[in-house]
Amino acid sequence: MATKGSAILYQPSAPVPFPRAWAWQRLLQARLLDDPGGPEAVLLLQHPPCYTLGRGASLAHLRFDPASPPLPLHRIDRGGEVTHHAPGQLVLYPVLDLQRHGADLHLYLRGLEQVVLDLLAELGLPGERRQGLTGVWLEGRKVAALGVGARRWISQHGLALNVDCDLKGFGAIAPCGLDLPVGRLVDWRPGLGCAALAPRLLAHLAARFGLELRPAAERLEDGEDPEAAGG
Amino acid sequence: MATHEIFMPALSSTMTEGKIVEWLKRPGDRVERGESVLVVESDKADMDVETFNGGFLAAVLMPAGSTAPVGETIGLVVDSEDEIAAAAANAPAAPSAAAAPAPAPAATAPVSAAPVAASPAAPPTAPPAPAVAPPVAPASGVVAPAATTNGRLVATPRARKLAQQLGVALEALRGSGPHGRIQAEDVLAASGQPVSLPRVAEGSGPAVSPVAAPAGAARIPAPPAASVAGQAFGRPGETVAFNTLQQAVNRNMVASLAVPCFRVGYTITTDKLDAFYKQVKSKGVTMTALLAKAAAVTLARHPQVNAATSEAGMAYPAAINVAVAVAMEDGGLITPVLAAADRTDLYSLSRSWADLVERARAKQLKPEEYSTGTFTLSNLGMFGVDRFDAILPPGTGAILAVAASRPAVVAGQDGSISVKRQMQVNLTCDHRTIYGAHAAAFLKDLAQLIETNPESLAL
Repeated sequence: MATKGSAILYQPSAPVPFPRAWAWQRLLQARLLDDPGGPEAVLLLQHPPCYTLGRGASLAHLRFDPASPPLPLHRIDRGGEVTHHAPGQLVLYPVLDLQRHGADLHLYLRGLEQVVLDLLAELGLPGERRQGLTGVWLEGRKVAALGVGARRWISQHGLALNVDCDLKGFGAIAPCGLDLPVGRLVDWRPGLGCAALAPRLLAHLAARFGLELRPAAERLEDGEDPEAAGG
Repeated sequence: MATHEIFMPALSSTMTEGKIVEWLKRPGDRVERGESVLVVESDKADMDVETFNGGFLAAVLMPAGSTAPVGETIGLVVDSEDEIAAAAANAPAAPSAAAAPAPAPAATAPVSAAPVAASPAAPPTAPPAPAVAPPVAPASGVVAPAATTNGRLVATPRARKLAQQLGVALEALRGSGPHGRIQAEDVLAASGQPVSLPRVAEGSGPAVSPVAAPAGAARIPAPPAASVAGQAFGRPGETVAFNTLQQAVNRNMVASLAVPCFRVGYTITTDKLDAFYKQVKSKGVTMTALLAKAAAVTLARHPQVNAATSEAGMAYPAAINVAVAVAMEDGGLITPVLAAADRTDLYSLSRSWADLVERARAKQLKPEEYSTGTFTLSNLGMFGVDRFDAILPPGTGAILAVAASRPAVVAGQDGSISVKRQMQVNLTCDHRTIYGAHAAAFLKDLAQLIETNPESLAL
């Protein structure tokens, strides 16, 4: 498609609790399902510390009792194993109609990886993919995790890029079911922060997916915390 | 009164199999059209899979946690509650069931893939294991009973056939399929053969036989991908289970027996069409696209022939979607759909067709790409067939059988005699919706378009 798709950008400044961001995505997903021609949406935010599990994720990768987790633990409707979120990690949730982007889930995952690779290239960092290990890797450490859920090709969830977050929380899990080291960009580029990186991440997303990002005119309601949260 | 299959969807062109993360519905549950029934995971992405048909989930053929190849039937939906038990009992042998236990005759163990079905009494529907020649080295002579304790050998029919051809002992293989089922690819890998995707023998190449071939010449052009000898799925003495696709075709074909069909034939002169085809062939236009376009443009003026019988009456589809039957090399056939063929330009149609055939070959068509035809074309012209008739696919009103175009001596109205290229077409119709006069008028207009104005197809 040559024409640029218009996407509404939601970029809250304060960290957003996971259940609230999840409810927003479902709201945006439902809107796009109701209005198939409507605008797509992109959320860029940070979460307070928490863990999330994909729908088919194994509890074996937790190094704590899921009944009494050290941080809030959510089982959510995305693919993939357990991951950790914390402030200092940029979380990008595109709510896209993937039929406008090739109707191909693997292609979409590769596209999200490419957005991070493009950003790292701009920083002069040699990010890479690893065959069979979805995510973005930098010198053997995983710096970005991916997990996507879709309903009728409308996506939610997305990617989490470790910028200058505390990595301690990853110690309590085997992220994505892998016993491989996790990294953050600030260890390669001292001084780097989310505020500086956010616009560049969005620019690469917009370029890669042909989106024209328009800041949202409305605020998403806060009162939609899903009942399923906290599980 | 119908059973609808839920297939493992292709969520990516690079997806060969998917994991069933969760069934959101249980057998017996009501499901609405478009409602999510299960969740499939591939790579790090989940997708809710919906049913295209409302009704009741009759059977879950692959339990949560299992992995199924793209296109595999993983569940069944029926229209009414009364049909649940019957559908569950007749569930198309789930993949591992379809691969009937070969060496151990009278295997009694019910197959592991069927158990979630609503009816616990569901008998394994795989045919009684025929005396399949053991796929072990033929030198061993006697049928070696699979002596192992729990050693049921589960392999696809194609894997068994390949194993015999290549001399691979199935017993030695680890299956990569669901429940360890041995797949054709496992056999190929074990024999050191390159693993290739099943090919499609396109059943709809150009309707013209090569000009060079003189009439009566024995040299019949072979279809692009088929071997020279006739196709068979088993060896003499064997009985081979129908694969999922063949079973689906069987159901559709048997369903046609409930439809009062009649057939009308017409002879169409193709000299102009052939000449036009030569002009546009270099631009990527295929004969399939030309014929589909010609049928669609004519259907637009004959909506009755695009209509189908439904419970509520005569249903007139919103679009003219021309399905074209394509034989699959490993059995069965599929009908990729050229959507809105009357309103899509010839070049786009040709590109769409190439893409559909390629993805059919890789078994990656989405259900809506092969199940939404409103009219069907079947072409055996490339074999030199001079006439045939076709069986009406369910849910549609008519199918056009297209035979080869061949030179014929033609007497004109004025008594002149000339040689022209002609092909016979034969329209099968559901008489509840389409009457003889409708069919005849459609064929007359189709012939007129092809005989006098094929260039208009490019407009």
